[in-house]
Amino acid sequence: MSRAAQRSGAAPSKRAQEDGDMCPVCKSARYLNPDMRFLVNPECYHKMCESCVDRRFSQGPAACPIAGCKRTLRKARFRTQTFEDIKVEREVDIRREVASVFNREEDDFETLQNYNDYLEQVENVTWNLINDIDVEDTRRKMDAYKEENRRQITRNQSNAAQEAISRKAREEEDHELTRLRRADARREDELERQEKSDARKGIINKLATTKGDAASIAREGRRAELKKSSAQRVALDKKRDGDVFSSGTENGDASSAFLFKGLKKRVAPPPEKPYDPYGGWSAEKEYFSQQDFYDWDYLSNARTDPRYSAGGYDINDYCARALCDAFSGFGVFIQDEVSGRDLGSTPSMATTAAAAVGGERVDAKMDDVF
Amino acid sequence: MALSPIDSPKPVPAAAKALPAKAKALTILNASTSSPSNASTPSSEGPQDLSEQLNEQVRRNYVTGSRLGEGTYAIVYSGHLRHDPTSLVAIKKLKVNKDYLDGLAPDAFREVRALQELSHPNIIKLYAVFSTRDQNLNIVLEHLPRGDIEGLMQNKSVSYGPADVKAWANMLAKAVWFCHENSILHRDIKGNNLLIAADGEVKLADFGLARTFSDPYRPMTYNVITRFYRPPELLYGARYYGGAVDVWSMGCVIAELVLRHFFLVSNTDIEQIDAITDVFGSCTEDVWPGVSRLDHYIPPAKDNIKRPKPMIYWKQHFGMLGDDGIEYLKSMFVLDPRKRATARQVLDHPYWTNNPKPTPKELLPQAAGGVEKMAEDLKRRGGEIEEGDGRADKVARKLNFADLKR
Ligand SMILES: Nc1ncnc2c1ncn2[C@@H]1O[C@H](COP(=O)(O)OP(=O)(O)O)[C@@H](O)[C@H]1O
Ligand SMILES: [Mg+2]
Ligand SMILES: [Zn+2]
Ligand SMILES: [Zn+2]
Repeated sequence: MSRAAQRSGAAPSKRAQEDGDMCPVCKSARYLNPDMRFLVNPECYHKMCESCVDRRFSQGPAACPIAGCKRTLRKARFRTQTFEDIKVEREVDIRREVASVFNREEDDFETLQNYNDYLEQVENVTWNLINDIDVEDTRRKMDAYKEENRRQITRNQSNAAQEAISRKAREEEDHELTRLRRADARREDELERQEKSDARKGIINKLATTKGDAASIAREGRRAELKKSSAQRVALDKKRDGDVFSSGTENGDASSAFLFKGLKKRVAPPPEKPYDPYGGWSAEKEYFSQQDFYDWDYLSNARTDPRYSAGGYDINDYCARALCDAFSGFGVFIQDEVSGRDLGSTPSMATTAAAAVGGERVDAKMDDVF
Repeated sequence: MALSPIDSPKPVPAAAKALPAKAKALTILNASTSSPSNASTPSSEGPQDLSEQLNEQVRRNYVTGSRLGEGTYAIVYSGHLRHDPTSLVAIKKLKVNKDYLDGLAPDAFREVRALQELSHPNIIKLYAVFSTRDQNLNIVLEHLPRGDIEGLMQNKSVSYGPADVKAWANMLAKAVWFCHENSILHRDIKGNNLLIAADGEVKLADFGLARTFSDPYRPMTYNVITRFYRPPELLYGARYYGGAVDVWSMGCVIAELVLRHFFLVSNTDIEQIDAITDVFGSCTEDVWPGVSRLDHYIPPAKDNIKRPKPMIYWKQHFGMLGDDGIEYLKSMFVLDPRKRATARQVLDHPYWTNNPKPTPKELLPQAAGGVEKMAEDLKRRGGEIEEGDGRADKVARKLNFADLKR
């Protein structure tokens, strides 16, 4: 629809509503109000415009205004829709939620096989939630797992958060989202097709073998057809029965809800090195150690007379320089000859040398241009 | 000449970061093969006498290019090695100084001597020295193309935060500490002498006023350090002073990075004392024993003893640094230089290891850069005429040189 056409169009058409250009609650159309934004609440994913959300939920939680819904919605949870298809939106939300609880990394496992097994169990949980299978039970188990593994979960979260700081990680996340969107779209097609054929088969079987009203059997059938009838499914059921679940083994994840095999024992990482304000440089003297005080008349005035000291002149700095000058001479020429002798550990010698140097007025011998 | 201190600070992993002190002690600046491109320590071959350095050979190694900037006593050009146009250097050409027509200008000599001693990532590297036929001295320096700290501080289109300030402050503090460990006073620390390398590293430059720590009873000139950055002892005419003067200036630079304008501002030296005491309180014998014995000391009027600004002032203006940051900043502004933090104490402060961590240098904000920035820089400096005192020492340098010569 061209912009001109939109403007000339009189009443909000059915078409506009289908396009998602009209709020199903207040019926105002986007073309009359180009700033209009639609929001959804992950409680039921019914779409409505921002001003409807403001109007209905600002006073506190209220029922969804969409006919037949009645779920209680909170304003804070409304947000813009990321995906065109609301089913995809919901699945991504669920995947995100599950992933935030089951956030172990490959590194946490001893073998790749262990990691893959873990991923499969997690996928089962996700699948159940997405397709409304054993939702209550699955949620209860997930919550129990979350409670029991709170520390590990937050640790992995902060790992992930740190990773996300880097630009690269953010790019990867974008890629991942695109990938998810595509995968979701594909899965959806598949699901629909499967749904239709399986449902028919299932219903027919049931109708053939049991009594009961066709409607309820059909409803049940619709649920069942969504279940994954794979080996994974069986495994999960077995676990639920408790045989693998019993208790955490030594390197397992102790949880009443799930058992992941082959988890590595966590070794605390070495603490991150603190920042070195010296940038790796040190000023330890190799050849001498300076003393706090040298008893030398020549220096005493400079030390005590405020005319010399009040400006911050520090004879220790002078001593350091004199020692340094003196020992750089020694260092260059004597060091190699006096091998094995540790000049640094003989401060008394340093003192004597410094005194000697000072006494001879070392500065007079040096053509210091300053 | 004096030997380099063999015990100068060195990298802990005995890396080839710096010239080994021993080699340095034996090496005089230029080797004819000097080259900044193929090594970070380009000039370390055959020893030569200082007089021999000023030679044709070295001069012919370099090609002078466009103008990078101008200081008080020098014009700085970009340049490169003749055989390698990608090896950028900065060539600091000293302005003809009529007073030293048949000798070396003292500023240049100071600069060369000081830089020869100092090899540290936060101190500008000296590659070579040569003279031209008109007897002008040329100092070949590391090329630092990203402007200076003052430009950054004033460029409101660059936004930065506490972690960035911490990173810049740390690079400055390391440079000052290294100078002092090597017994060298810089005496002109300010934002526009802190140049920024292509990789974001801040480097202390312009050693035109540097000197070694003096011997006892040997007076120094108090007319050093650009006024806004000058500590109270120099304003009071102290002739015997130490590293504390540089620490004060360092505090000023860090403060202005936070404020984004100059910190202690005035038009005359007397007013500068007022600017300081307005913030830090009057200089009295109580807070600074012996201060009244300094030559230019003026006691405050009895009824006008100023009190230091309360903590709320610091929190208001320097809250960005956090409480630990405020404490370390204030430690650089203690009026009595003997009680002021030393560069080493500054680096030992917990501020550096507390959060936030300093920003890694590659990630530091930078000005738009390039030629535009350069032009803007030049304009800025042109407009900022500090009447007669901007480089207060233009005259002082010459006058006081006699004092300093042995
Ligand atoms: N190594 C360098 N790389 C790039 N620009 C430089 C370099 N050295 C100096 N400059 C520019 O030249 C100006 C003057 O240099 P400076 O060494 O401060 O001289 P002066 O001692 O005369 O003040 C600086 O502010 C800067 O803009
Ligand atoms: Mg300068
Ligand atoms: Zn609406
Ligand atoms: Zn609803």
